[in-house]
Amino acid sequence: MFPNLSLVDPVNRAVDWIVTHWGGFFHALSADMLRYLLIPLGQGLSAVPPYIFIALVGLLAWQATRRWQAALGIMAALFLIGSFGLWPKLMLTTSLMLVSALLSVIIGLPVGILIARSDRLRSVVLPVLDVMQTMPSFVYLIPVLMLFNLGQVPAIFATVIYAIPPLIRLTDLGIRQVDGEVLEAARAFGTTPRQLLLGVQLPLARPSIMAGINQTVMMALAMVVLASLIGARGLGEDVLTGINTLNVGLGLQAGLAIVILAIVIDRITQGFGMDGRIRRGLSGQRLKVAAGNESAGVGVPRVASQPLLSQKAPNPDEAQA
Amino acid sequence: MKIPRYAAPVSLSLLTASLLVGFSQTGAQPASSYCASGKPVKFAQVSWESGQFTTEVMRLILEKGYGCKTDVTTGATNITETAVASGDLHVFAEEWEGANEITNKGLKDGKMVLVGKTLQGGTVEGWFVPQYVVSGDAARGIKASAPDLKSVADLARYKNLFLDDENPNMGRLLGCVSGWVCDKTNTAKLRAYKLDSMYAQYRPGSQAALDASVTSAVKQGKPILFYYWGPTALLGKYDFYQLKEPAVNAKCYELLKADDPAACPSATPSVTLRVNLNSDFARSAPELKMFFGKLSMSLPMLSKYVGRITDEKIAPDVAAAEFMKANPGVWAKWVPATVASKITASLK
Repeated sequence: MFPNLSLVDPVNRAVDWIVTHWGGFFHALSADMLRYLLIPLGQGLSAVPPYIFIALVGLLAWQATRRWQAALGIMAALFLIGSFGLWPKLMLTTSLMLVSALLSVIIGLPVGILIARSDRLRSVVLPVLDVMQTMPSFVYLIPVLMLFNLGQVPAIFATVIYAIPPLIRLTDLGIRQVDGEVLEAARAFGTTPRQLLLGVQLPLARPSIMAGINQTVMMALAMVVLASLIGARGLGEDVLTGINTLNVGLGLQAGLAIVILAIVIDRITQGFGMDGRIRRGLSGQRLKVAAGNESAGVGVPRVASQPLLSQKAPNPDEAQA
Repeated sequence: MKIPRYAAPVSLSLLTASLLVGFSQTGAQPASSYCASGKPVKFAQVSWESGQFTTEVMRLILEKGYGCKTDVTTGATNITETAVASGDLHVFAEEWEGANEITNKGLKDGKMVLVGKTLQGGTVEGWFVPQYVVSGDAARGIKASAPDLKSVADLARYKNLFLDDENPNMGRLLGCVSGWVCDKTNTAKLRAYKLDSMYAQYRPGSQAALDASVTSAVKQGKPILFYYWGPTALLGKYDFYQLKEPAVNAKCYELLKADDPAACPSATPSVTLRVNLNSDFARSAPELKMFFGKLSMSLPMLSKYVGRITDEKIAPDVAAAEFMKANPGVWAKWVPATVASKITASLK
């Protein structure tokens, strides 16, 4: 009934060919990335005394949430990870995640802006994002590993592939959701397209973009365990060892550390996603607004975070007008 | 060395005696009373190819020769071993004797029994480099990058050949998957061989990652130092050179396995591959236990079919059927004549 088609041999031959002819180039790239970016960053993070690191994160959390309870809770959670004896691994995982998230933002933000401006480009990019989100990671982990050599570099590439789609989607959505009347008013004042983007669209899309960054970081963390399967060191390594030796305690402890790291980063990025006015007002009466805001969860457009503008349901045509 | 001379004839006669008993039993009864009752024989899916091949050969013989129903359950090794201990599964086809803690405990508690020796001569395990690193490869234009590399002691001179990208002052021994027994052994060996200031073990995270790294290096003709073991498809597929290690010293090896600071040099002793059976199953199916006890293959034969599975991507059960057709003389020794004739009939 079916014609006899197979991707197996062509793909295998193509991978073989790339590894044989381009392996040296990619390996050198990987070695440079390690030497000039990842190793210094990892060493830098490890060199910071833990109590200073915890204090800095606490300060950042306070700055983001304006609630000293949240900041204290976050500091206590980090202290707990340190008490588990997982501090060095936490630093490795953090540096891996920071680099992945940074790369995702560097690539994802411009792509999101571009597809918000062109429907044709959007119709090409969205299916690609679907593939990136649904393709089982191990399928591309192994070829990426054969090119970039074992360890952190292939892990970062795999993480970026997996984690970048929500940022692109939410950047696109955020810009398209900016009120058409606001855009019209801005144009009436004679803004150039660049001014319109930097001064109106991006600032108004900020909550959505920050939700995208938040999601990207969360998904990068979800890749930590999978990345350990291709030799990336860090917390995932303990989870893996726990599974391989049926040491449930070891696995759970490292798993818990990953969860704590996720919560810490989630609270901080969510905090920065809120409008400055709200954040400053948080310590005062608007506490309830923020609490409701937080429970609404990530990815839901936050009406409360744009108090000055009425926000309409997503309607690309209108946003384009 | 005198003892074996006396022991050999005794054990031989014991063996023939037990064989005779076995034949008389199976001759009088249906091929398997256990399977005649309709109960399936449940195999654990072994996660490596040689084990999968052995599993499929066993299933074929059980189904065609003994009239059994069989099925295979997939899972991580520790999960399936635990299931064999509890009786949820019955057979783990390729058990590396002494290597798995769950099995060791199951044996001590009497929940499992090991029978047979499925690989003649046992396994190989140690540190390897591609053959072209030692002797070059004229056909591919690769010069020998370490012509004097013969043993682990020589590694001290070749640190710069195997540099670790993440730790550029050290050589990299691409080691063992985190959590496997060899993880500790490799670390302790580096120390016992006085290489720990020059080389660090890099844990690849999974066997897929280890295989991909070695394959990638071989395709590019690059030097790589890695831990590996056989029977495996990878060792059959490419030409590798196993570095010589100091002779096996049982006491030293015990210390190495525990990563004891006092560990002394020793090669990894060859491991016997056995069939791991749930004890209750083994008691209720003595005729099957006897078959599992006799199954035995040579390393070249096993490597050949494992290579078919990995290189030519044929399914393990297809490889098993090929093996059965091509080597009737080999498997006929494992089963009673009545069972063998049923299998022969089914293969036609």
